[in-house]
Amino acid sequence: MKKVLIVDDSVSMRQMVGFTLREGGFEVIEAEHGQDALDKLQAAVVDLVITDLNMPVMDGITLIQNLRKQPAMKTKPILMLTTEGLAGKKEQGKAAGATGWIVKPFDPEKLLQTVAKVLP
Amino acid sequence: MDAALARYLTQLARMGEQLKQTSKQIEDSVVGVCDSFQGIASRAQATVTRATGFLGNGGQSTSDRQSFEGLIEACSGTLVKILNTTIEAGDVSRRAIERIEEMDKASQQISEALRQLDQITNSNRMLAFNARIEAAHAGTAGTGFAVVAVELAAATVKSRSVTAHVGELALNLRSLAHSTLQDLRNMNEKDAERVGQCRLEVDESLRDLQAAHSEMAAMLNGMTADGALLATDIGGAVRGLQFQDRISQRIAHVVSDLDTLCTRLKMHAGPVARGAAAADEGFSAYTMQEEREVAGLGEAEASAGDVELF
Repeated sequence: MKKVLIVDDSVSMRQMVGFTLREGGFEVIEAEHGQDALDKLQAAVVDLVITDLNMPVMDGITLIQNLRKQPAMKTKPILMLTTEGLAGKKEQGKAAGATGWIVKPFDPEKLLQTVAKVLP
Repeated sequence: MDAALARYLTQLARMGEQLKQTSKQIEDSVVGVCDSFQGIASRAQATVTRATGFLGNGGQSTSDRQSFEGLIEACSGTLVKILNTTIEAGDVSRRAIERIEEMDKASQQISEALRQLDQITNSNRMLAFNARIEAAHAGTAGTGFAVVAVELAAATVKSRSVTAHVGELALNLRSLAHSTLQDLRNMNEKDAERVGQCRLEVDESLRDLQAAHSEMAAMLNGMTADGALLATDIGGAVRGLQFQDRISQRIAHVVSDLDTLCTRLKMHAGPVARGAAAADEGFSAYTMQEEREVAGLGEAEASAGDVELF
């Protein structure tokens, strides 16, 4: 079973994304912000990271920059899931190493399709 | 002026706190709804899995004995075995009838043989009678011959007695064979009727079971289709519920703006230019199109639900 790390400071968003992915047959790990995600990844290996952009402690862009420095996460897909839709922000995400950008509110079916597309 | 400002500042701080609480309450409710969705989806899935297992749909059941399909197969097998056993019993009965008929024929042959024996005995009796007459004619010379004739006559009597007894036994045997044959034939006819009836009933019962199975399979398909619809509905609801995340963010930004406003007011930053700068700081934190539209900061951007893979 493929493992996905969801990073979002909103409990409800983590619940909704988690619910969608679990129904899609994925195992889910949750983190509240970027630093929490980095801590959790020290003890777990995941196949995909889905992260929000604006979070306390460490935001999504910084998280991606940190993850891309780790050999284990160098080529793993990382999706941004955020309310932010500005082209400039998306460019920042892309430059940091994001695999894709999804604007909230997400469509559960579309999210699963996107996840299937980016997973090897 | 300062007193009024202080009062407004307090009110602004309270408004900010109320907004935060409201945001938290909405989030708690949405989390509760999501938990319920998870429960609904899990239970629906479990129900379909149990029903599928019970029906043995597509041979997915772990044990045939537990599945409806397995039960039908087991019942069908048992009923066929019972029918076969009854049919075998009928065959045995028919073979018994054939053997008794053969025995009856043998009895008839015995009776015929006894009739022939009786004729021989009669001939011997006549022979003995004539021998005695001839012996009397021969006088003293025929004395020995007369003794033989008497013994022959006595043996003839005994022979007739034995023949009669055997004839009687053969007659009893035939009578017994006839009644047994009749009983067996009656039983065989009834058995054939019963087997025919049983076969009809078994076929009907199996048809009923198959019909029930088909009906339940159709229900299961319906449940599976309903499950898919339920998943779609939940998906729609999940999408709809994300309003909370957007509202929470907007509230957070409004609260942030209120905080900034409070800070600026506290500093008594009178000049209009500094106030405008403060407002710009607030707008720069806006992440949603709606917020930017309210602030009059139009710029090309992706809409909700858009996915872009780099």
